[in-house]
Amino acid sequence: MIVRRLEVEERALASPLGRTSPLLKLGIALLWLVALAFSYDIRPAAVVAAAAVVAGLLLGRLGIGRLVGGVAPLWAVALGIGLTNMLFAGANSDPASAVLGVIGPLRLTVPGALGGAGVAARVVAVAAVGVVFGQTTDSTRLVDALVQQAHAPERFAYGALAAYQAVPRLAGQLTTLRQARRIRGLRMGWHPRLMVGLLVLAIRHGDRLALAMDARGFGSGPRSRYREVRWSRLDAAMAAGSVVVAALAVLAGR
Amino acid sequence: MASTVSRAGSASGALGWRTRDIVVAAIIGVVFGVVFQVWNVLWGATAGVFTFFPPAQNLFYGVWLVPAVLAPLVVRKPGAALFAELVAAGLSAVIGSQFGPDAILSGLVQGGAAELVFLVARYRAWAFPVLAIASVASAAAAWVHDWIVWYPTNALDVQLWIGLCMAVSALAITAGGSVLLARSLRDAGALKGFPAG
Repeated sequence: MIVRRLEVEERALASPLGRTSPLLKLGIALLWLVALAFSYDIRPAAVVAAAAVVAGLLLGRLGIGRLVGGVAPLWAVALGIGLTNMLFAGANSDPASAVLGVIGPLRLTVPGALGGAGVAARVVAVAAVGVVFGQTTDSTRLVDALVQQAHAPERFAYGALAAYQAVPRLAGQLTTLRQARRIRGLRMGWHPRLMVGLLVLAIRHGDRLALAMDARGFGSGPRSRYREVRWSRLDAAMAAGSVVVAALAVLAGR
Repeated sequence: MASTVSRAGSASGALGWRTRDIVVAAIIGVVFGVVFQVWNVLWGATAGVFTFFPPAQNLFYGVWLVPAVLAPLVVRKPGAALFAELVAAGLSAVIGSQFGPDAILSGLVQGGAAELVFLVARYRAWAFPVLAIASVASAAAAWVHDWIVWYPTNALDVQLWIGLCMAVSALAITAGGSVLLARSLRDAGALKGFPAG
């Protein structure tokens, strides 16, 4: 599941959203997150969620299946976080709030329920933005942009990228480790000891990787670039559009 | 010349990062990034179990903070806590978890808080009390962040319960778990050439 979600479709990468600087997309995602933090009204979250879905479908050329598949696991989370906010809202103990119902010692009030629904909507909006970002962004391009546009330290950025490439390998090894436990007559579940085996394999792989990188002179001098990342007009247009969406979201919550 | 060899191999001084330190710290972050994916789904799926008292779910929060303590414990370099936690959070963001771009913000505050504690200890003290303080600091930063972003309407007493559960979790899972994992890794011989080995 994890490996499949790491793969980004060629079609999405060639789309306008896929060609936008990953750094800018990250900035937009964080800007929208801040715009959502201004109120717990349901409307700003609806604006951002709609903008993310429309951008993903039209500008990112994502298939509806991929979008829904990515957002699917979060419904339960949205519900859980929404419920917590709803049941334990400060407004519930305010005698002036209209009462919706009483569950044992808990008093559920109208402002409490509205706040909970607003936060649940916020979870959905944030997740939708995250899925669109993830499904239109290749990790190599993200690191290129981090180094060339944000001037992140090269050794750390490319070292992290090298480690990212190990994800499919680690997922495979996790399966092997679980099967090994099964063969030894242990249960197939998620035992914490699996972590030790996985970390040992990962660190050994990291050691060999570092040795190979050192042998090729990694980080020992100025680095030349194969893929140049530059700011483009597309980036400017995306930035302008995203500011409009953020402003709309803030206004919708007033 | 000796200098060219030392540049590619072991970096200058005890606090300089070798390539090996970078890649291993990053790969610890990646392993936990993968674990987070499982954890994020479990967190959502088990929310219903905790409806009797949702703050209790935060007793399992500590898993998200482990890279910020385990990675610096293994490589013992300045910035390791922040780096590993950001790598783990970045993986969540690229894969597209329910926390979306907020994962990166979380990683920044969680890793940053632990980093500050190791900085105050001048990257020299690695005993359990230091790890415990770093874990709780990381949890405290996460608590403030989560309050603002995810639980803005919560009553103060509920929020304090959540904080208490997170602190307990940080001590048991983050600090305790990191020590146990580092010990197992050392016994397995995976940490040869590292200060923790």
